[in-house]
Amino acid sequence: MNANNLVEILLIEDNPNDVELTLRALRKNNLANNIYVVTDGAEALEYFFGTGKYNNRDINLTPKLIILDLKLPKIDGMEVLRTIKNDDRTKSIPVVVLTSSKEESDIVASYKLGANSFIVKPVDFDKFVVTVRELGMYWLLLNQPPC
Amino acid sequence: MTNYKVKYILLTFLCGILFSLSAEPACARVNLPAADTVIGRVVTIASEPDYPPFCIIDKNGKADGFSMDLFKAAAKAVNLKINVKIGVWNIIKQDLVEGTVDALPLMGRTPEREQIYDFSLPYITLHGAVFVRKGTSDIKSLADLKKKTIIVMKGDNAEEYVRRNSVSYNIVTTNTFSEAFRMLASGLHDAVITQRIMGIELLKTDKIKSIIPLDLELSEFRQDFCFAVKKGNTKLLTKLNEGLSIIIANKTYDDIHLKWFGPAIKEKLSSFDVLKIVLYTVIPLILIFFGASTLLLRREVRRKTKSLQQEVSMHERAETALKNQQLLLAEMEKGTKVGGWEYDVEKKEFTWTNGVYAIYGLSPSEYNIKGKIKEGPARLYIPEDQKILDKAFQNALNEGKSYDLTLRMNSFDGKFKWVRTAGNSVLREGKVVRILGNIIDITEQKQTEEDLRKLKDGLDKLVAERTRELSEKVQKLDKSQKAMLYMVEDLNNVSAELKLEHQKMEAANRELEAFSYSVSHDLRAPLRALAGFARILQEDYSKSLDKEGNRILDVIIENAKKMGTLIDDLLSFSRLSRQEIKLSLIDMHRMAQAVYDEIVPEEDREKIEFLLQNIPNAQGDPSILRQVWVNLIGNAIKFTSTKQKRIIEIGFFTREKENVYYVKDNGVGFDMAYRNKLFVVFQRLHNIKEFDGTGVGLAIVQRIILRLNGRIWAEGKVNEGAEFYFTLGNVEQDGHINNT
Repeated sequence: MNANNLVEILLIEDNPNDVELTLRALRKNNLANNIYVVTDGAEALEYFFGTGKYNNRDINLTPKLIILDLKLPKIDGMEVLRTIKNDDRTKSIPVVVLTSSKEESDIVASYKLGANSFIVKPVDFDKFVVTVRELGMYWLLLNQPPC
Repeated sequence: MTNYKVKYILLTFLCGILFSLSAEPACARVNLPAADTVIGRVVTIASEPDYPPFCIIDKNGKADGFSMDLFKAAAKAVNLKINVKIGVWNIIKQDLVEGTVDALPLMGRTPEREQIYDFSLPYITLHGAVFVRKGTSDIKSLADLKKKTIIVMKGDNAEEYVRRNSVSYNIVTTNTFSEAFRMLASGLHDAVITQRIMGIELLKTDKIKSIIPLDLELSEFRQDFCFAVKKGNTKLLTKLNEGLSIIIANKTYDDIHLKWFGPAIKEKLSSFDVLKIVLYTVIPLILIFFGASTLLLRREVRRKTKSLQQEVSMHERAETALKNQQLLLAEMEKGTKVGGWEYDVEKKEFTWTNGVYAIYGLSPSEYNIKGKIKEGPARLYIPEDQKILDKAFQNALNEGKSYDLTLRMNSFDGKFKWVRTAGNSVLREGKVVRILGNIIDITEQKQTEEDLRKLKDGLDKLVAERTRELSEKVQKLDKSQKAMLYMVEDLNNVSAELKLEHQKMEAANRELEAFSYSVSHDLRAPLRALAGFARILQEDYSKSLDKEGNRILDVIIENAKKMGTLIDDLLSFSRLSRQEIKLSLIDMHRMAQAVYDEIVPEEDREKIEFLLQNIPNAQGDPSILRQVWVNLIGNAIKFTSTKQKRIIEIGFFTREKENVYYVKDNGVGFDMAYRNKLFVVFQRLHNIKEFDGTGVGLAIVQRIILRLNGRIWAEGKVNEGAEFYFTLGNVEQDGHINNT
C-alpha cells in the first residue's frame, strides 16, 4: 500500500510473523483496507514527520488509528509513543499498544505517555482474532475522533 | 550650854565604853570585813552643798563635811561602796523618796519625816537658834517672833518646826540657808531659824558678820541627826547602823568630830548643866551606845557562828573531795589500766593502788604472793626485761635516778602483757627515802600497733595486688581496643563487601528483570507465531491433510497454548519476589467472598456448599493476598469437581496468639506422603488428564505467605479432601494501613 494514499491504520510492528497474523486477523474482520505497516520506530517517526524515505509524503494526512508494538528496533515503541503524543498534529490519533508484554511497568508507562489502549497479544490465534476485531471495531467505527 | 560641852561629855563616855570593849579580845576583829558584805553593790548618796560643817563642798567641788565623813567611814566599815551626788536639799530629799538615791548622810529626824524615811541611830543632836541682824532688840522670847517674818530653808526641819509650832505666820522660804542669811543681812525680813552650829558655821564661811544668833532657847527645835534611807530599806539601814556603831566604837567618830568641830573646851559646868547634859545628851548617848554594842555583839556572834559553820563545811568538803578523788582514781584505773605505787625505802615495802594489783593479776590480799616481791620490783618480767628494770630500780634507789621503761611481763594470772613503768625518787636531806611510780598496761596499745602494722602490710600487699590487676586490666583493655580497631576495620571491609554484594544483587535483579521481560516478550512471540500459523494451516489447508495430519496439528496448537499459560504463570511467580509489598488492613471475609463469586460461574454455585465463616481482618498486601484466595479457592473448586456433593469451607482459629486461616474441601485430597511436594513449583500430584494446571499455583501461594512472614501447611487424605492452613505472621506495619 502506498504511504501517500489515505491510511486508516498504521501498524508499527517489526516481527513479520506478527504483522502477518495481525493483518490476517484484521482481514478476517474486514478491517484490512488502507493499512500501512512500518517495521521500526525510526521509520515510524519519518512517516509522521515526512523525513527520510517519506520526504514526499503529505504529513497532513494522518491515520485514524495507530497500532504500536513496544519492542522495536532503532527507536523503541515508548519513544515513538512519546513523540506522537507530544506533537499537536498527531496527538489526537488513537494509539493502541499491542504487545507481547504483560509487564505492569510497561502498561503503566504506556498509559502515562497517552496510549489509548493496552492490549496483550494472546498466544491463541482465535483469541487474537477476537481481540483485533474488538479493537478495530471500537477505534475505527465506534470512536468519534475530535476533528 | 555650848556644843563643845556636849562633845566633851560624849567623848568621855565613848572613851569609857570603848576601853571596856577593847578589853575583850573579840573586839580586835571588829574591823575585819564581815562575811556577808555587799561587795560590789554601790550605794548612791546625795549631799547638800551648804550645810556646814555637816555637808559642804570642798575646793574641788566634792562633797565634804562631818556627815559626809561619817557616812564614808561607816560605809567603809561595812564594806559598802558609795557614789556621791550633790544637790539642793529639796531635790535630794525627793530623790530619796523616788529611789534615785539610796541614802542621805544628813537628815534631822522629825515625826513628819519618819512617815517617809527610815533613820539610823542619831549620830549627833543639835538645837535650833534664832538668827537676827546685830542690834535687833525686839525679840526676847518665842512670842515676839509671832509678828516677825521668818526666813527658813524650804523643806528644812526649821520650816517644819516653824509651821508645826506656829512660831510665826510670816514665813519666807529659800533654797539654801546661805540665801536666807544673805537676805536677812541685806535687811529683808526679821529672822532666820536654823541649827545653831550650822548657822554659825555658815555665817563664818559666808563671812557675814552682821548676823548673830540669839541666846534664845528653842526647846521644841531639838534635832537628832541621822543617816536617812527610803522607808522600808531595812537592809541598808541595818548596814549603816552597823557601820555607825563600828566607827563610834573604834574612835573613828571621835577623829571625825575632832576634825570638824575642833577640841572641846572644858568649862565649868553647873550642876544644872550637868543634869541637863545628862538628860539631853548623855542618856541618849548611852542609849546609842547600848544599841551600838548590842548590834556589835550580835554581829560578832553571827560572824563566829558563820566562821565555825564554814570551817565544818570546809572539813566536810575536803573529806568528800578526797573520797571522790579516790573513787575517781579507782574508776580511772579500771578504765585505763593504770596503777600507782610507792616504795618506802626504810621499810622496804611497796604500797600499791588497785590498778597495780590488776596489772599484776593479783587481788589486793595477795601482796608478795609466792615470794616474788621482795625489796624490789616484782619478779614477773621476762628475764632480759627484768634485768633492765632491776638495774633501773637500783639506780633510783641509790642515785635518785628516774626511769621510764616499756617492758614485757607475764602477770600472775598468766597473761602476757606489755607495761610501761616509771619510777621517781623522793629525796630528803640528800637521801632517797621513797620511790614514787606508776605502771600502765599498754598491751592493747601494743596490740593495736601490731594490728596496724599488719594492716598496713596487708594494705601494701593489697595495693600491690590491685595495681597488678589494674595494669593487667589496662593491658587487656589495650588489647580489646586493638581488637576493636581490627573489628572496626573488618566491619568496614564487610560493609564494603556488603555494598559490593548489594550492587551485585541490584545488578542481578536488573538482569532478572530484563530476563523476565525478555521471557514475557521474546518467548511469547515465537510461540504466538507457532500457534497462529498452525491455526492458519488448519483453517486454510485442513482439507489437504488427512485425519492424522489434522490431529497432529491440534496437538501442536494445544501445546503452544499450554506453553503460553506456563510462561504466564512462571512470570507471575517470578514477579512475586520482585514486587513491593504495601501493607494495609484487609477485610478477609469480604475478599474471600469476592474471589469466590468471581471465579465460580453462577450456574455452578448451586452445586457447591460454600461455608464462609466470619474470619477476622488481617494485615497484608491486597493484590498479592487476593492471589492466595484465588489459588486456594480455585484449587478447592477444581479438586471437588469430580464429587457429587461439593463442600468448600473457609474459616479460622487462634493458636498461640496467631490467627490461622484455612480452606477446606471434600475433594480428591492427596496422599500425605507427598505433602512436601505440594508447594514445589511445577510439581503436580495429579494426572494432567484428571485436573489441568501448571503446578505453579501452590508455589505462588507459599511464596506470598512467606513474603508476608506467615506459614502455610496442608493436610489431606486421598478422596476425602484437603485442608490448607495459613497464618500471616507479624508483618511489620509501615504506616500504609488503610481499611480495604
